[in-house]
Amino acid sequence: MKYVCSICGYVHDEAEKGIPFADLPADWKCPWCGASKSDFSPQEEKEAPAPIVTDVPDLSETHELQKLSAGQMAALCSSLARGCEKQYKAEESRLFKELADYFTRSTPAVEDATVMSVADALKEEIAFYPTLKATAEAAKDRGAQRVCVWGEKVTRMLYSLINQYLEKGDQMLEGNDIWLCTVCGFVYIGKDAPELCPVCKVPAWKFEKISGRN
Amino acid sequence: MSNKKIAVRNLRLCTKDCLCLYVCPTGATDTENSIIDPEKCIGCGECAQACPSAAISLVPVDYPEQQPKTAAVVSALNAQAQRKSYTEKAASQIAAMVAGSGLGYLLEAIGRSERLVTEDIMREAGYMLPQSANVRQLLEDLVANPPTPSFPIETAKQLLKLLP
Repeated sequence: MKYVCSICGYVHDEAEKGIPFADLPADWKCPWCGASKSDFSPQEEKEAPAPIVTDVPDLSETHELQKLSAGQMAALCSSLARGCEKQYKAEESRLFKELADYFTRSTPAVEDATVMSVADALKEEIAFYPTLKATAEAAKDRGAQRVCVWGEKVTRMLYSLINQYLEKGDQMLEGNDIWLCTVCGFVYIGKDAPELCPVCKVPAWKFEKISGRN
Repeated sequence: MSNKKIAVRNLRLCTKDCLCLYVCPTGATDTENSIIDPEKCIGCGECAQACPSAAISLVPVDYPEQQPKTAAVVSALNAQAQRKSYTEKAASQIAAMVAGSGLGYLLEAIGRSERLVTEDIMREAGYMLPQSANVRQLLEDLVANPPTPSFPIETAKQLLKLLP
């Protein structure tokens, strides 16, 4: 039997390793990305087909764009700032950054936000990925499918990390740093950044250290 | 749409062998900030071919139309982006309250990660290229109907002027 890490795709082949997955210790970690044992599932498992999004307003005739929230606009503008930066358009990048900052400030505060509610929000995102993926597949939109492949892994890792924190508290960070892949958003806890991002495969220098080691 | 291209230099790859300075017929590669001068560059590609570090590439002046997206895909992507922007806000809000602690760093990382993934989603939802019709339309809408009185309208106007 083979078990696959839902975060990075690492395969634990019981036959090859000579250890049944069930016999691995409870605190065993994915050797590639550090995900928990609970992030693994048997390879044979076939998922039930997810529903696709069909109930959408047809705006094609009116040339109208879907109304976006302040939070969506903030990400849209910071993404365009990044796009201009890549093209060495410094002035355009700065201006898009200004718009992004305005929309970030305008995003309404979340009432009664707790660590638990962040975990719940991540869980909801994970639950929506099958529908997003099925909708992208039905439209044969491979770019949107790629966003699902990366985004789902990154989100699962975030969910796994926040649950580890709820369980173990600061202990999980002891002697480690928090590393953020500045390309895909993958978060890794460890002494050094991974040599290659397990999600988007960029080299270690694309990781940014978020915390100082104690 | 013209086929004109200009050269851009990736400063992270540039090893300062400076062959581009020898081969450039207009002096566009020789600048005080290392960014190839788009006013002088004629897009001949000599610098890109001469560079031993492959740090120079040629990009078009006029970009092609962006790939069409179906309404269903855009709607599904926007729905996920909305969830993620909510999570980003919740995480960064708590992170600010417990700044400097382990939890503060973890939530800061989660907030920033969510922003990166949302950016990626918005690119796939029709806003990949800054110089695209969708982005222009969006900026024009913002100028015509600013979301709040404090919206930096001059910034949006300036962008409309600078983007082709």
